[in-house]
Amino acid sequence: MSGVVQPDVTRSAASAVLAAVAVAGAPLVFFLPGWVGALFVAMLVARGLTLSRGMGLPPRWLLALVVTVPVGLLWLSLNTLVGREGGVALFLLLLGFKALETHTLRDWQVLLALGFFLAATPLLFDQSPLAALWLMLTIASLTVAMAQLAGFSLHGGARAAGRAMALGLPLALLLFLLVPRLPGPLWNLPRSDNSATTGLAEEMAPGSIGRLIPNRAPAFTVVFDGRTPPPSARYWRVRVLDAFDGRAWRYADRVTTRESAVTGGEPLDYWLTATPDKGRLPALDWPIALPQGVRAAPGSLYQMAVPANEAVRIRGRSAGGRVLHEALSPAQRAFYLALPPGNPRTLAEARQSRAAAVSDSTWLKASLDRFRLQWFRYTLEPPPLAGDIVDGFLFETRAGFCEHYAGSLAFLARAAGIPSRVVVGYQGGEYNEVGRFWQVRSSDAHAWAELWLAEEGGWVRVDPTAAVSPERIEAGAAPTLPAARPSLPVVGAAAPDWLRGLEQRWMAARFGWEQWVVGFDAERQRALFAGLGLGQGVGVASVLRGLLAGGALALLPLLWWAWRRRSQAPPLVRAWRRLRHKLAVAGIRVQDSDGPLEMRSRAKSLPDDDFRRVEALLKAYVALRYRSRDADPAAERAWCRAVARLRLVKMRA
Amino acid sequence: MSRPRKRLVARLPREREARLSLRRIYLVPTRFGATLIVVALAVWIGALNYGVSLAYALAFWIVALMIVSVAFAYRQLAGLVIAPQAAEPAFAGDSVSFAVRLDIPGSANGRYELRLLGGEAESRSVSHDQQIPLSLPWPAPERGRLAMPPLEIASSAPFGLVRAFSRVRLASDALVYPRPCEDARDEVGAAGGGDTRVLRTGDEEFSHLEPYRRGDAVRRIAWRVSARRGALVAKRFGGGTLSGAWLIAWRDYPAGCDTETRLSRLAWRVLRAERLGQPWRLHLPDADIAARPRQLDEALAALACFGKRS
Repeated sequence: MSGVVQPDVTRSAASAVLAAVAVAGAPLVFFLPGWVGALFVAMLVARGLTLSRGMGLPPRWLLALVVTVPVGLLWLSLNTLVGREGGVALFLLLLGFKALETHTLRDWQVLLALGFFLAATPLLFDQSPLAALWLMLTIASLTVAMAQLAGFSLHGGARAAGRAMALGLPLALLLFLLVPRLPGPLWNLPRSDNSATTGLAEEMAPGSIGRLIPNRAPAFTVVFDGRTPPPSARYWRVRVLDAFDGRAWRYADRVTTRESAVTGGEPLDYWLTATPDKGRLPALDWPIALPQGVRAAPGSLYQMAVPANEAVRIRGRSAGGRVLHEALSPAQRAFYLALPPGNPRTLAEARQSRAAAVSDSTWLKASLDRFRLQWFRYTLEPPPLAGDIVDGFLFETRAGFCEHYAGSLAFLARAAGIPSRVVVGYQGGEYNEVGRFWQVRSSDAHAWAELWLAEEGGWVRVDPTAAVSPERIEAGAAPTLPAARPSLPVVGAAAPDWLRGLEQRWMAARFGWEQWVVGFDAERQRALFAGLGLGQGVGVASVLRGLLAGGALALLPLLWWAWRRRSQAPPLVRAWRRLRHKLAVAGIRVQDSDGPLEMRSRAKSLPDDDFRRVEALLKAYVALRYRSRDADPAAERAWCRAVARLRLVKMRA
Repeated sequence: MSRPRKRLVARLPREREARLSLRRIYLVPTRFGATLIVVALAVWIGALNYGVSLAYALAFWIVALMIVSVAFAYRQLAGLVIAPQAAEPAFAGDSVSFAVRLDIPGSANGRYELRLLGGEAESRSVSHDQQIPLSLPWPAPERGRLAMPPLEIASSAPFGLVRAFSRVRLASDALVYPRPCEDARDEVGAAGGGDTRVLRTGDEEFSHLEPYRRGDAVRRIAWRVSARRGALVAKRFGGGTLSGAWLIAWRDYPAGCDTETRLSRLAWRVLRAERLGQPWRLHLPDADIAARPRQLDEALAALACFGKRS
């Protein structure tokens, strides 16, 4: 009756659970109010202290009373207890209090199970590869704690957890890929839109795009299906700015979309992965089809139908054409011609030049030539402008960045009686050889103008920057502007080639991550199923086919491992059985109960050579097995090998 | 245990040795496992609602862990051999200790819970590569041969998520002796009482040797043998011609006396005579147990099985 193991929780197991829960919640420190995380950690530490000191737990009513204080504070600081921040913070607090009242094995198990749920909450805020690494760490520590709760030591638990992870990860991967993804949420949840956005500003004033250029952060990635358009055609529109107030261009929200059509060019299909910026997604000039989940915004833009904070992957379609045909109503025409007072020199100049030109297009050509010929400079550090900024730029400083050129051309056009607007977005991109995709960065931000030309009957893209600095369009901002070149932090020197290669690899890894992990949705899953030949669409039949094929692969190691134990006798015993089997095959009748001596006497009927060899083996076996007290692994292995090599002549019956 | 399950267990064959194979291993999730499945479902719903791909990965990892746990739990029991060991006899009203030996193949770090069905759970951890006899107590209310109840062997190692169990009925039984009931008729002081008859049929005749017990007379010690063996050995006398041996007999009691009472008293007297180192002889209607090796065991066994078919 001795040695009965009580199903009680050891101190080390309980501490392991607390530690694992702390690991699970750790990333939340970055996303929640600081005091919530601090309180959570304090509660876990308090529970750990009561464990190590063997103290009792506070009574439950007291806990219930105390819990109301931080929950009230939470309400005051976040104004909500639902949604992402509120819900997660509330859950974190309640989990901390649960830790303070765990006592029985069952309590600890519940805490551990809730720890798994807690592990999911940081993913609501961040799904980077780092978050995935942390998730792995969390899973590992929770699994080890689970084994410790079941009575294993830390070492044994770690072994069991490691084995479980090695055998379980293929299965989890299979389920990840094959279990049907539903296209949308089950119910709508309140969303907080206060996440920081880095990207194009709401308005375009001198300097608003230039400040993005030194920032080499990735903006979005593109994979072209089939033809890749030349750099001069890779204009990604994000915003259309159509009202000028004398200082900045902004969007006035007064345009009603009309029927529009694009002529010329060939359709271009592409996959775009981007994090929507206030719902806005880049669209290649000019979009002609709407991807799933995206609606058209005025100005031929893409706008997410449902807000999303995570990266999305859409399939876009564009016509690489020249003209966006769109009729303008008189009211629209007037709107696109509206100008604020000021900038008299530009106004006068534009009217004069238009009167001298034969048509809108000849005027446009003349205006661009002016940019090209009159010593305009393309620079990130233009002299500051004040007052009539267009006048100042065109007649005095003549140095500026794309927003100066785009803004002043649009101004000139309006002054000349040509409807115009400014488009901001991205232009160009860098090809990643490793991942075979185009990486567009913040430094590719660009602005250009669109003019409504009567003879074309629609909008025509005009990029005055191309006139001033053609290489900006062909090769991107980096070679053109020193500030946009990748450089080493602190030192400021140009980055060596190997570092650029490393960066490309990192980008490729990120791209793969966005494509296959973060952006793996119903659509992506359909494509995978089609690619694997499981059938069109994700249905019962195709999922079953996938589970059968993949399940066999993923389960094989598991089954092998589960069944392997049957042959897990010590090597010496296995070799002994093997020898017996060899004798039986040779025609010697051997019984299971026979020892070495019986076997020797039975083996006498073998041919002389064989008998001598068997006899030597048996002698060695006796020596190994019975003579010495200590095992001699080397000799045992040698004996096993000798048995494996033994060949006996088969006797006639 | 519910009735259908009881019937199912009763239908199991009695085995001398049970080797657990896939067919007789049952696997069920534990409460903890069920809780974790609920958590996986919650994570999955969250992943769906918020469109969080990595949370899907977490939910599926939990499911995979459950599947792996099934294999783990199965592996704990597969190939295990359970064999009964001799059970420790007991007196009625005490508890019998049934013993089993676990023969664990391979080098798995096993953790097993053994339970006689209907009895208290007993949990045991068995380290690898060993055959450890385990004893399981079981109440023995009445004398006779007590068959070993069905045995459940279970394991939920290593995570406590899935429980693998198997039920076996082992061919083993334990002797339950009658509960001794005081009966002082053999008191030496009461020799004149008439009821106690001491046999004095001639000279003492050597019967056998036994290890020395406290109370053995010095002249009974077999000195020469003791010197050879290095431990004191005492001579026992008896055989057909007992002298000074107490006769402990069925017929000492009136015909109207209840069988169980009679057996209890006989048992008490046998134990007492043995304790005093007094030669004795038990006489029953179907047996006559004189001094011989393991006399006490045989006598108690005869009392336990008296009137019962074996």
